[in-house]
Amino acid sequence: MSKRSILHMLDPMQNNSPFDINMALDAGFDVLMPYNNVKLDSVRGLTQDAVFSRGPSGVKRTGIFIGGRDLGLAMDMLDASKQAMMPPFEVSVFADPSGAFTTAAALVTCVEKELKEKQGKELKDCNAIVFGGTGPVGIATGVLASLAGADTTLTDHLSIDTALDISKEYNRRFGSNLKGTLAGSEADKARLVANADIIFCTAKAGVQVLSADVLKEAMRLKVAGDINAVAPSGIEGIKNDDFGTPLLHAINAKGAVGIGALAIGNIKYQLQHELLKSMLDGAPLYIDFRYAFDKAREMKFAQGSK
Amino acid sequence: MEKPFILHMLTTAKNLSPFDVNMAMDAGWVSAVPYINVEPSEVQGLVQDAIFSRSAKNLKRTGIFIGGRDTKLAMDMLKTAKRSMFAPFEVSVFADPSGAFTTAAGMVAAVERELKAKFNTTLEGKNILALGGTGPVGQAAAVIAAQAGAHVRIIGRQLEKAQQVADMCSNEFGDGKITITAGADADKAEYIKTADVVFATGAAGIELLSAALIASAPQLKVAADVNAVPPAGIAGVDAFHNGTPIEGSISGAVGIGALAIGNVKYQAQNRLLKKMISSEKPVYLHFEHAFEVARDYIQSNA
Repeated sequence: MSKRSILHMLDPMQNNSPFDINMALDAGFDVLMPYNNVKLDSVRGLTQDAVFSRGPSGVKRTGIFIGGRDLGLAMDMLDASKQAMMPPFEVSVFADPSGAFTTAAALVTCVEKELKEKQGKELKDCNAIVFGGTGPVGIATGVLASLAGADTTLTDHLSIDTALDISKEYNRRFGSNLKGTLAGSEADKARLVANADIIFCTAKAGVQVLSADVLKEAMRLKVAGDINAVAPSGIEGIKNDDFGTPLLHAINAKGAVGIGALAIGNIKYQLQHELLKSMLDGAPLYIDFRYAFDKAREMKFAQGSK
Repeated sequence: MEKPFILHMLTTAKNLSPFDVNMAMDAGWVSAVPYINVEPSEVQGLVQDAIFSRSAKNLKRTGIFIGGRDTKLAMDMLKTAKRSMFAPFEVSVFADPSGAFTTAAGMVAAVERELKAKFNTTLEGKNILALGGTGPVGQAAAVIAAQAGAHVRIIGRQLEKAQQVADMCSNEFGDGKITITAGADADKAEYIKTADVVFATGAAGIELLSAALIASAPQLKVAADVNAVPPAGIAGVDAFHNGTPIEGSISGAVGIGALAIGNVKYQAQNRLLKKMISSEKPVYLHFEHAFEVARDYIQSNA
C-alpha cells in the first residue's frame, strides 16, 4: 500500500488559513498537520523531523507548506527548510504567505497576457507602478515585474522612506531593480499614472486608490490589474470579473484595459491548486513567488468555475 | 473526484476537545482541522477564508464547528459566522461548547421521556431546579426546558451569580421570550418542596441533592444527574440509572444517570454533525437543534 500523503503546514501565526487548508485537501493531500506559532529557528528541526521518518519513497508523499503574513519571513523559512535537507531525504516546500505569492504571480501573468494580446508589448518594454506596493502582494508583484524587465516603481501611501527601504531590501535579496516613491496625494498619483504603461493595484481591500480624475491623466497606460474584490474597487471603473475590459475612465490612454479581482483570483486559485498537486509529482520542489510565476506563464487556465 | 469533507474546528481554548474530534470523524468528516485560541474578532476572517477557496457545490462538503467552554462566546461566534457569509458562499456551522448543548439536550429529552412514561405528563408547567446550574450544561438545559414550557430556577452557591446567569439565559439565549429565575443553594430545602424535576449539573464529585432532601420532596418526579464521578450529584442516582426508582422518594421519583444521558447526547451530536453533511441548505446549529434531534432519537427508540 502506498503511504498516505502528508502536508506539514508551518505557520508563524497562531492558526493556519482555512483557505489554504481547503486548497491542500482539494489538491489531493490525504493528511494535513498544522504547526502554529513556528519560529524561523524551529524550521530546520521541523523539516529534518519530517524527512527522516518516511524513507526515500515516503518523502515523495510528504510536503511542507509555509504560510503566515510576512513575505520576508516566509522566504527565510523556505530557505531554512531547503538548507535543512539533503538527497535523498528531500521533500517539496511551498511558501505562500497569505496567498500573496500565488496572487502576485497570477496578477503579473494576467497583465503580461493582456499586454501581449491587446498591445503586442512585453513587460520589458514598459513602465510599471505598483500602488499599495509595500505589502506582501505588492512587493512580490514588483519583484516579478522588475525581474521580467519592466521599469518598476513600488509606492507607499504614507512614507517615501518605507518605499525606498523596501525597494532596496528586496533588490538586494532578489536582484531586481525596483524604485520606491510616495503616492500620498492625488497630485502624486496623477504624476505617476501619467507616465505608466502598467498599473498594479495591490492596496488594502475596500480602498479606492485611483479615482476617475486621476485616471484621466493616464497617457500611455496599457493594462491595469486590481486585486481588491471589496467595493469600492482600487481602480475606479474596474469590475471584479473584468478581464481585458476597456478602462472606462482612462479616456486619454487609447486601448487601455483592466483586469478585476475575481478574474485574477480565478487564475490564482488554479495556480495554487496546480502547485500543491505538483508537490506530489516526485522531484522535490522549492516553490516561491518566482517559481509560481514561471509556472503560471506556462499554464493553460480555464475560464470560470472551480 | 469528489472533494473531501472538511470540518474547520474553532475553539477559544488552547486545544480542541478530543471528544469532538472523534465525533466529527465518526460522523463522516474526512478532515478535522483545529484553529485554537480563536478570538471572537477573528471569526469573520477565518470564516471568509474558509468559504472563498471552494465552489458553491463543494462548500456543501465544508463545515465549521465552534467549541470552547463558554456558551455566550460560542453563541456569539455562531452568529458572527452566519453574518460573515452570503449566498452561495455559505457553509453549515454547529456550536457545542464543552459538548454542553448536546449534553443538556440529551438530559432534557431523557427527562421528558420519563415524565411521559412514568407520570403521563410533559415539561409544560413543571417546576425545575437546575442545581449547580450556572455552568454551560445547566444554562443550556434551563433554556431548553423553559422553551418547552417549564418554570426553571437556576440554583447556585451565590445568588447574585445565579441571577446574572438566569438573566443571560432568558435574554440572550431565550430572546427574552422565556423567564428563568434564580435561587441560592442555601435555600434549596425550601425550593425542593415544590419541585417536579431536578437537573444536577454541578462539578463532578459534589453531592448537590442529599437523601434527606429527596425524602422531603412531595412532588418530585424525575431527577437527572450528569455527573459520572462518585459521589453522585443526586443521592441514590448512579451513572447507569435510566428511569430507575430513587430509593427513599415519597413521590415515586425516578433517576437518570450520566451514562444514560451520555448515550442520548452522543446520538444528538452525531446526528447534528451528519446533518451538516446531508443538508442541502446550510444549517446553523445550537442547543435548540440538539434538543430536536435528541427528541427524535428518543421517539425512534420508544
